[in-house]
Amino acid sequence: MRLKSLGDAWNAFFFAPKSPLPIALFRILYGLLVIITLLLLRPDWLTWFGTHSWVSLSTMHALERGPRLNLFTIIPQNDTWIEALFWIFLASASLLTVGLFTRFNSLLVFLCLTSIQQRNLYITSGGDTFLRLAGFFLIFAPAGAAVSVDRLIRIRRGKEGDSVLPRPPWAQRLIQFELALLYFSSFCWKVQGAPWVQGTALYYVYHLDEFHRFPMPSPFLRPTMLKLGSWMALALEFSLGTLIWIKEFRYTILSLGVLFHLWLEYSLNIPMFEWDVLAAYVLFIEPEDLTHAWSWIRGRVAVKALQRS
Amino acid sequence: MPAGTPGPTQRRNARPLEKVKYFVINVFLLFHILAISCWALPLNNPLISSFRNLVRPYFIWSGLFQSWDMFSPDPKRVNSYLEAIVIYKDGTSTLWSFPRMELLSANERYAKERYRKFEENLQNDQYSGLWPDAARYIARLNNQKTSPPKTIMLVVRWSEIIPRTDDKYDRGPWNSNIFFTYDVQPEDLK
Repeated sequence: MRLKSLGDAWNAFFFAPKSPLPIALFRILYGLLVIITLLLLRPDWLTWFGTHSWVSLSTMHALERGPRLNLFTIIPQNDTWIEALFWIFLASASLLTVGLFTRFNSLLVFLCLTSIQQRNLYITSGGDTFLRLAGFFLIFAPAGAAVSVDRLIRIRRGKEGDSVLPRPPWAQRLIQFELALLYFSSFCWKVQGAPWVQGTALYYVYHLDEFHRFPMPSPFLRPTMLKLGSWMALALEFSLGTLIWIKEFRYTILSLGVLFHLWLEYSLNIPMFEWDVLAAYVLFIEPEDLTHAWSWIRGRVAVKALQRS
Repeated sequence: MPAGTPGPTQRRNARPLEKVKYFVINVFLLFHILAISCWALPLNNPLISSFRNLVRPYFIWSGLFQSWDMFSPDPKRVNSYLEAIVIYKDGTSTLWSFPRMELLSANERYAKERYRKFEENLQNDQYSGLWPDAARYIARLNNQKTSPPKTIMLVVRWSEIIPRTDDKYDRGPWNSNIFFTYDVQPEDLK
């Protein structure tokens, strides 16, 4: 391999213009997930972030030192301002979802999201972390270039035609990279633990009361199945972190990943994590396939409408 | 090279501003891919540790810090939950429980998941700095005008998950420990 061919591969991967459809669909899913997260938190906004919350701002500063992007340190410390920040956040996430002033709102959503996490890091989990990281890179992506109000406005003003212009996907690649790294890093952590290698890890996980969701079918609790399950989790996390980049394997691995997360959603109580991660799968789907899927859905809807009339 | 990829000739002919933009984006990409990998992967190497320390202020400031070690390397082997003993000024007492996920409905678990995470951190000695705030919050929740809370005790209850080789499940006996006692001050109740 020559240095030049390596440079060309880098350029092709990060800069060869691609349809912004996947990143635009991700923007919609991302916005919806942020809205759901905020609404689930709604009864406890002041419980966790108010002036008389479980963890005070000063305790947070004492425990988690260093300068941080945190709007809570700028706004006046009273509950009205804190609630206002949440309403602004919710409004901004809604605008991001529909794609109005997309760039500005992606920045504002990231700022608000990182602020509420920095304000109380002790209640954040993996799904929140992934939303924060994806949100950071979404700021740089052409997320409003398709399926957005911004695009409709540009078309109306004659600045854009019917076809969506391809854009360099480097920011989308960084979110894809972050997702693959999440899996690969999980795999690396797990193989360092004897219970995962020996296949006993799931026995403990499934018997943690706080994580119980729905009743587990008894065959899944047999030692052989627990072993297989532990090893399959390792194999899947490795594949989702590495083989996902190989086009020939991608859709098979993504399908297995969907089944994996749906199983976790059924069996374990880890709210939102599965959906936060699954939303990013759309970034790995080829734009042409997304267009085909959309045409197929439209065709089906049209046929149904004709049948009704 | 795919159509549309800026080739060497195109880049040579690009305007100076475009060249600068291309250069800056490449630096941004290289730095973030390298830094995030070094941060997130569990690699124990002095060079990687120094690099982590170098990027730490930026990661902490921007929110790029991350860790993907759920249930690993070893999953938790005990079931545990927290309670608080509230002793009032008149000598009476009450037991206050944190929301326990296993006792909530599926919908409630979605909304109250933050409590599970918070309890998990509260049990960790590394975060003992959280205990006075938590005790004060519980005191405010249990404030009675006739007799305000005088003392709050944080209690952890735990039971081991006993390993078995068949498909049965055994848990050990429940143990408990008062890990923090707080004397409530009048200003804590405001």
